[in-house]
Order: sequence, then structure tokens, then C-alpha cells
Amino acid sequence: MKIDLVLNGREVTWDIAPGQTLLAALRDHQVYSAKRGCETGDCGSCTVLCDDQPVNTCMVPAAAVHGRRLTTLEGLLGDELMVTLQREMVERGGIQCGYCTPGMLISFYALLKENGRPSNEEIRESLTGNLCRCTGYVKPVEAVLAVVKERDQTGGQAE
Amino acid sequence: MWELREYRYAASPAEAVALLRQGPGRGAYIAGGTDMLLFPPDCDFVVDVNRAGIGGIGETPAGDLLLGAAATLQELARHELVTGFAGGAIARAASHCGNRPVRTTATVGGNLCNALPSADMAPVLLALDAHCYIADEDSQESVPLQDFFVGPRQTVLGDRLLVGLVLPAAAHDRRCCGRKLTRAAEDISLVQVEVALGIADGRIDAARIALGAVAPVPLRANLAEGLLTGVACDDITDDVLADTAAVAAGECDPISDHRAGGEYRRDMVRVLTRRLLATALGREDLS
Amino acid sequence: MKVVGTNVDKIDAFKLARGEPVFTDDFTRPGMLYAKVLRSPHAHARIVNVEAAAALARDGVVDVVWHRDVKAVPHTRAGQSHPEPSPYDTVIMPAKARFIGDRVAIVVAETLAQAEAALKHIAVEYEVLPALTDMDASLADTTNLIHETADPRGISEAGRTNVAARIDKQVGDVDAALQTCDLVVERTYHLPRVQASHIEPHVAIAWIDEDRRLIVRTSTQVPFHLRRILARILELTEADIRVIKPRVGGGFGDKQEMVMEDLVAVMALRTGRPVRLEFTREEELIAARYRHPQRITMTTGVMKDGTIVANRMDVMADTGAYGSHALTVQGNTGQKVLPMYPAQNIHFKVTCVYSNNPNSGAFRGYGAPQGCFALESHIDEVARELGMDRLELRRRNHIRLGDTDPLSAQLGEGKAGLVRIIRSTGLEKAIELGCEAIGWGTVPPPTAPHLKRGLGLALAMQGSGIAGVDWGAATVKLNDDGSVNLFVGATDIGQGSDTVLAQLCAEELGIPYDKVLILSSDTDLTPFDVGAYASSTTYVSGGAVVKAARLLREQLTAVLAPRWECDPADITLSAGQVTGPDGKCMTTAELALFALYDAKIQPMATASHMSDESPPPFAAQFADVEVDPETGQVYVRRFVSAVDCGTPVHPRLVEGQIEGAVAQALGYALMEEVLVDRAGKVLNPNFLDYKIPSALDMPEMTTILVETDEPSGPFGAKAAGEVPIDGPAPAIANAICDAVGIRMYRLPATSERVWRGLKEETP
Repeated sequence: MKIDLVLNGREVTWDIAPGQTLLAALRDHQVYSAKRGCETGDCGSCTVLCDDQPVNTCMVPAAAVHGRRLTTLEGLLGDELMVTLQREMVERGGIQCGYCTPGMLISFYALLKENGRPSNEEIRESLTGNLCRCTGYVKPVEAVLAVVKERDQTGGQAE
Repeated sequence: MWELREYRYAASPAEAVALLRQGPGRGAYIAGGTDMLLFPPDCDFVVDVNRAGIGGIGETPAGDLLLGAAATLQELARHELVTGFAGGAIARAASHCGNRPVRTTATVGGNLCNALPSADMAPVLLALDAHCYIADEDSQESVPLQDFFVGPRQTVLGDRLLVGLVLPAAAHDRRCCGRKLTRAAEDISLVQVEVALGIADGRIDAARIALGAVAPVPLRANLAEGLLTGVACDDITDDVLADTAAVAAGECDPISDHRAGGEYRRDMVRVLTRRLLATALGREDLS
Repeated sequence: MKVVGTNVDKIDAFKLARGEPVFTDDFTRPGMLYAKVLRSPHAHARIVNVEAAAALARDGVVDVVWHRDVKAVPHTRAGQSHPEPSPYDTVIMPAKARFIGDRVAIVVAETLAQAEAALKHIAVEYEVLPALTDMDASLADTTNLIHETADPRGISEAGRTNVAARIDKQVGDVDAALQTCDLVVERTYHLPRVQASHIEPHVAIAWIDEDRRLIVRTSTQVPFHLRRILARILELTEADIRVIKPRVGGGFGDKQEMVMEDLVAVMALRTGRPVRLEFTREEELIAARYRHPQRITMTTGVMKDGTIVANRMDVMADTGAYGSHALTVQGNTGQKVLPMYPAQNIHFKVTCVYSNNPNSGAFRGYGAPQGCFALESHIDEVARELGMDRLELRRRNHIRLGDTDPLSAQLGEGKAGLVRIIRSTGLEKAIELGCEAIGWGTVPPPTAPHLKRGLGLALAMQGSGIAGVDWGAATVKLNDDGSVNLFVGATDIGQGSDTVLAQLCAEELGIPYDKVLILSSDTDLTPFDVGAYASSTTYVSGGAVVKAARLLREQLTAVLAPRWECDPADITLSAGQVTGPDGKCMTTAELALFALYDAKIQPMATASHMSDESPPPFAAQFADVEVDPETGQVYVRRFVSAVDCGTPVHPRLVEGQIEGAVAQALGYALMEEVLVDRAGKVLNPNFLDYKIPSALDMPEMTTILVETDEPSGPFGAKAAGEVPIDGPAPAIANAICDAVGIRMYRLPATSERVWRGLKEETP
């Protein structure tokens, strides 16, 4: 079957199988930032934004996003908030193997769009859908706190 | 991969029911799909109800809360009508269900229709006297939530569609408190308890104790509730709370599985019920 | 030092932050086929016949293979140096299934969906055999043999018993010594199966290239061992095979093994087409590897003054259906742990059996987490019975600078090892700083009236590579602009070894870090390395990098000296500048141009390094926990790790290793267990029910690096990757005991187990 969607700002039409997951469809179309880790919606390495909200693409039928707007990490590479998040993650050591990183960045991005000044607890709460086996979450959380502080100082606002 | 022949979209409840009945083969409704995709059912087609106009959240002039079956858990966690009802109990329960990406697409209706014994939203909705609105092709029926569940993964729906829930205005001011016992910070419930107390003139005029994951269906501990109904708050001593909790523990029927043992679950119903009642009465603070 | 000891940007961090397609599966080749494995539903059964006609008739299905189609060349899957100290008890496609999940057949099809669907259409005839899923039953049974054919190298007792490995080593005479002790304490501890759960699954793609060579692109920790094993079992030679390792999404030991690359290789050779296989998370939890479950009995004899006179560790372990890492993991359980308290009499005994349960293998810590849990819990028990402070008992007995470790002379990896002398230790400092950070001696008030609070500690030591066995090589090549290509076999699996090795190279060569272009783990392009395991990469591979860089520096000073009319020893390279006597100077880039175009040589050097030493890093770890006595729930509020890894080459990466290790150990302590029922079936093969810690499960963490200078390590460095995973579980168990007075002898300390423990202790 065919579905129409907007992917990173571009209108596309995909040929998919009715039972295919969004994750499988994304990777079939070379969107590799969404990664396969668990198939049960637990690890979050497949997270992308659907109409600006984070979704586990392994648990969403591709057909369900017909008419919707998807944003993946590939589509946010020029976004100021994402660039800031990436820079802090690199500088603070929030990236080890990097496999969970795209999903984590999407979750952080969505969090900061919803809540401009999350607390340490709120940041960790937002991460319950992103499992990381390398970092113990310590430096990724420090990276987000650093972004929050930076935005505070430059007068950045929650949207 | 899930071997589906067809994925259909419904634009209204009546159309959804018709599309399901149309066949050929077996069909199932799908909303968020987060429960469904875990163990995909063996069916030939699905009917997507996300755009069937059953996702809204509203209230009646009388102050009843209306929750569309396809309202997402994230919407429930954030909507001001939901956060303002019964001290935000439904919003709180929704925000502890799954994780953030799951809550974007998971729906309250899907959680109830999947009817797992551990359905996260069931206890709080039972404690607030929810009614289910069920649509047929050209009619609707209302069923109290406590009559909705028939057995594990079985409801009274048949091939009809759950379109929404109503929480009566009478439950609006109940003092609610709930807790999920889990193996890790984010987890399916091993045991879930939700209490709601309606207090008028220093007396309990409504006592609700709802239990999840400790019986084939989510249920209310009616006998335990009876021990508190009509009782003056000042007469609810620690012993009364302890007795009520013990009775509630006796009303459940928990299994032992790879997640937890039945004896443990039963004792946890007792422990949590007592603590939650004490908290709802303002005597303790559950951390 | 200019580069070592600084927190440079991790060399691959930017591309990872951008989500670039750099992992194994972010790749496709024309005509690629998708493989799926048909797995046995029986724990023990002969595979009598596989009927694949119905599957082959389906759309898109290209080939189905079972044991009749593949030559059986006995080998071990373990990624270890040749000759491997693991039994050769495995073949590519077994004629007998030995666990629920064992390979029965492989399907390849044009799409993944077609391969998955085809599995249901393969008919298998099994002759079901009695299954041995209890390790004591397996040990006792000498007629129902899981491996019936004698092990060709005599490493295990295949053909005679179900024992996969035995160890019995003694220093002094423990039995005699126990008679003389003031107090003898004996307890038994139980360690569960847990799974590494790297977020990237096992995944590999194999194809035949235009030169008719087999190319394998895989998420592995051991590219060179993999090439060697594949050559043997496919009856090729190493020249016919190239193994390439892209970015790896975590390994933690689970990829120190040829878990599945042989499958894609076989099918690529048979079909002539590229073949891809990726494990599902379910397959990870059933058919990858676990930390060995163990039952450990500790018997310790002490004098009234706290001196440990005799210490016995008796280990019973279950290696599952196949014996990779059976001897060596269990060997580590004693070898890495018992030396912490050098007693005159030490007895270390292991019985490791086969069973019809899914397999155990390598997992970070490699036997030490189990042993450390037993020993460090036991020390607290001894202290309690002796009436001595838990910290004081440790202080009186722990190993010190200059001490030797006689047990290591008796144990190697299956052969006699080398005596270890402690030449650097920050253990005492780590204890001091850790105590200060946690506030040892004063339990903070509980955060709520119904909770009980307690503190616990544990000490740990590990190794830096396997002495006399692990080795690696590096090649450094200079370019026109003064940059170098650094080729190493050493394997970056996310821990940042590419970064650390580039730092070591830059430091030794006197050039900036960003002038080092590292390429690692390609068996055609990079020199040999054993791979990323045993905490060997910084210490051993780093040693090779420093040597190669030094040789290159010598080539450069030698080529410049005549031009500058001075001695090569008078020329210094530092921070991209070359300076000589009489104020002569130039940039490294200018020197490079001179060498390449004037002297017309390619400055390039290769060096190998192996160490006869494995200097232990040390850790002192502290837990502050609260226990809810009514529900049994345990909350770890704060956790402190003080770690001595010599010179931290990249302090922030070391912290990252510690923090990640603590998270994994927290899972081991409180929530992780692969549940296998009596029939040998895994009950929780997914993340829904196999819980690993999330961000909300983590305590407030303090990480302290204690610097020492290890004479045998590159710029004084030792290892850091494994030691911090050893201490948290016993520290948490000790804190639980401090809080509510009960000893958790069994992990994980789930709320139900704690609840039961509390019920049984009170009348």
C-alpha cells in the first residue's frame, strides 16, 4: 500500500506492507538514525518525532503515519537547539558507543521544546524510554543541564 | 513482520464498526498499537481508529469529564481538564504508564480494550466510577467500567467499538492516591492500587479501592470499601485502616509468575492499600 | 604531558552525534539476502531430519541449510588467542540441539519478512533426549552426555562426563590452617544469569568480492580471532578472508565470540550473494551469551585480631550447552578476586559443567563480579561474626605495594601463569577518598520515616590484559602535512580506544591530537591485535602504539640530523614543532615534506607489544541505600567509586567507563536475571521482562580517579574498563545488610527476595 507523509520537510510517498513497522520503513528508505534495539518499545534507539512528539518507531505501524509529519535526526542537523545538544553531548562525554545517541537526542530535543527548564529529575524521567548500556546516563544528563544553563544565560525560551 | 493483508482507516465510529464487520477474514481495531505490536494478533486486517473522531477530551455542563477512547496517554497527562479532575489522579496514572515515546501514541481506550490484568489505567478509572461508551453501527451503550472486563484480554465489546469514557462530576472532588509496585523505575505493574475517598461533613461518602495486576481482571475491593463507607474520618483509626487493607488483600486473586509470587503480591496489596488510604486521609506522605 | 591526561573530543563523537550511518547494519549491497535461524524448541534432541521443500517453494526463499549441508569442523567460538583454552565442542550446524534456541537450520531469502515466514514451513524431525538443566544433576550424570564425542584437544571431559572445566589450586594448606583459626565462617552465595544487553544486537553482513574473497562486516570485539576461526571451519585460509569492524554499539564481552558470523559466511559462500543476519532482542536473550551463573562457597579462617589465615573459594558454574570461556571465566573468579587478601593459605576450586541451558560466555568482569560478590559479602559476614569493623578488617588484610600474588603463578589461561607483583596501587587512597565522599561511619537519616538506611563498601581489583598472552601491534605512517595514519588492530567497541590510542600516539610523537588519523580493526589494513577484552586495549595495544610512535620519531630525527648537522638525540618533537640546537626549528609538516620529497623515504614504523605483567587497577566502591522493610524495595541513593587506573589517559572516558559499569552492576544487584525454567526455556527474552537500569534507576554518582604511576604501562596507565563493575553488587548487598540486618546471599536482590528475607528473619 502507499502512504504519503512529510519526512524532514519533504513530501514523500512510500510503498509499504500493511504490517510493516515505521522503523523498518525508515531504514528501508535509508533513514539510518532510527536504530533497531529491542522491538518492544523499551530501548528508544528507534525514536523519531511524529508531529513534533517522540515515538518508538518499532511500535508504530508505518501505515499509521499516513498524512503525518516526521522529523528525524537527519532533519535536525541544522537546528540550533539540536546543534547545541550535540555539542554538549560531545564535550561532556555523553556519547560512548553512540548507538542510543540519536534516540536520546530526539528525546532531549522534544523535552526542551516542551519544557525549557527541566530539573535533573525531569530530565531523567524523560529518558525512561531511552536505554543506554554504556554511560550510566550520568554525562548525557549533565549535557542537557548544561544546555538548559546556557539557554538561561542567553535568554532562550521554552516553546 | 506482522503479516497483515490490509490496513484500513475509519473516519467515524459507525464506519469503524462497519469496516470491521465487512471482513473478509478477521479484523481488529488499532489505535496507538503499543500493546498490540508487542504480540501482534493473528488477524487479516486492522481498522485504524485514530482519526475516527473519538480522541477528544471535554466536559459536560454538569462537570462530568469526557475522555475520548483514542485520547493518548500524553494528552491525558497534560490536558487541564484531566489534571484538574480529582486532584489530577488520571493525569498522574497516565504519566506513569510506559515511557514518553509510548505515551505519544498509546491511548486510554487501547489500554482498557487490551484488558490485561495489569492495565495501568483501569484502577484509577474504576476508583472514579468511569462509564464506558460503546458504539455499534447505529447505536450506543453505556456500561460501568467495573462490568467492562470479563477475563484476561476479554471485554464485553465483541466487535463493537469503545468510543469514550465518562467520569461523573460526583467523583471530581475525591481524594485520590495510587501506586504501582514495579521491579525497576519504569515497568509493567506487579501490583497496582488506587484509592479514592469522597468526604463530606467529615464522613466518607464514597470509598473506592481499585486493584490491578492481582486478579484476572482489574477490580474493586468492594468488601474493603464497605468497611469505610459512611464512617466518620475521626473514627478511622490505624486499626481500621489495617483491617480494611487486610480485607482488600483477601479480595484479590494474584497469580505467581516470572515477575512476582502470589503471596508477595497479596501482601503488597495490604501494604499499599493501608498506606494509600492513610495518605488520602492526609495522615501520611507516601514517598 | 600535552595530550595524555586531557579530555579531548572523542574521535568519533561528531559522526555519532549526527547519526551518520556508521554501524554494521547501516549498509547494504546489491542482491543482499536476509538470513533467519530456525531454533530448537527442545533442550536436548538429535536433529534427525530437516525437510525444507515447502520453505524453498515460497516466494523469495533462496536456500535452506542444515547439518547435512555443512562440514563439521570442531572448534570453539570463543574469541581467544590460539590455541584457545576453551574446548572444541562446537560445529557450525550441530547434529544435536543442546539448548532451547540452538541452531537447527538457516534460511536466506530476498526480504527479511520472507525469511521469517519461511521458518514456519521447515519441518524438523527430532529425537528428543532427556535434558539436564540443573547443574548438580548434570555433574552427577555420566551416561546422559551433552557432548558425546571426546574433545579433540582434551580440554574438557567430553565423552566421559558433563564437566567442561575443573580447577583445583592451592597455596599453603587451607584445611590444616582452618584448624588453627579463632573463627571459621562459611557461607554460600548464588549468582544469576545476566545478559550484556548491548543496545546494538549482534549483526553481520558477508559477501564474496570481485577477487573471490570472503568479506565479513561485523559488530565484533575480535576481528583477528574471527578471521582465524572462519578460515579453519570453512576450510579456507586467512588470505581468503577479510574482517571489517565498523562502529560497534556496545559489546561488553558478548561480542568476544564468533556468535553468528559463521552463518553469514557459509550462506554467502553457498549462494554467491551478500547475506545479512541480525539478532532480534529475543535471540540476544536466548542465543547470545550470559555471565556464568555460579554457586560459590566461601570458607574463611581468621584470628581474633582480624588476620585472614585461610581462604577457600569453591565455585560451581554452569556454562550451558557449549564451553566457550568455561575455563577462563571461572579461573578469573578466583584469580582476580582472592589476591585482594593475600593469606598464607588459599584454596581455589572450580567445577564448571555443561547443561542443556542456553550459553554462558564472556561478560565484562569475566568471572570477577561473581567472585567479588561472594568475597566482599563474605568479608562483611566475617567482620560481623568477629565483632570487628568492616572497613578495619579490610584494611588489616588487603594487598599492598610490593606484595606478590602467588595464586596467579598457578593460574594462567589454562597454563601456568606468571607471578604478579604489585608495582602501583592507589587502593588505600581510594578507600580514604571514597570514605570521605560517602561519609563513611555516619549513616544519613532516612528520607522518609518508614525507610531504613545503610552504607556498604566493597574493594576490587582486576588486571590489565592477560599477562604473557595478550598482544597487539600498531603502524604509524607520516603524511605530507605532518599528520599520521595510525593503524591498529585494537578494537573500539564504543569505549573510546580509537581516541585513547590516538592520544598516546600524539603524545609520543609530539604532534597535536587532531593530526592523528586512526584506522582500526580491518584485518587487511591493520596489524594484529587480540581484540577488545581483558581490559587490554590501553595497556597492551597502547604499548604497541607508543613503541611504533617512538620508532617513527627516531626515523624523523635521524633523517633531519644530517641536515641540521647535529645528533638525532638533540632534536625534539613537541606540539607539532621540531626544535634543534642553536635555535633551529621547523614544523612537523615541514619535516614531513623534507622526509618525503628530499630524503625520499616514507617515514613509517610498526611495533608489537606484549606484557609479562597484568598490573591490577583497584577500586573502592561505596553504596548508600534505603530499604522499605514492608515492601522489600531497595533504593540506591548515592554511589561512590574511587578507582586507581594508573594514569588516566582520558579522564572523562575513564569516568564514563566507571559510570557505565556501575549502572550494569546495579542491574546485576537489583533487577537483572535471565529466568530459565526447568525445561531450559527462557521465560523473559525481551526488555519488557529483562529489566536493565534506566536513567531513573540511577543513584547520585560520585566518581573519583586516584592517580598512580604504573611503571609498565604507557605513560603510567593501567586498565579501567572492568574493575568498576566488580564492587557495586557486594557494596549494595552490604548496605542492605547495614540497613535492615539481612544478608542477601542470592542476586538479584529483588524487592520480593528482600521481603522474603525479612519475613524469614522475624518470628
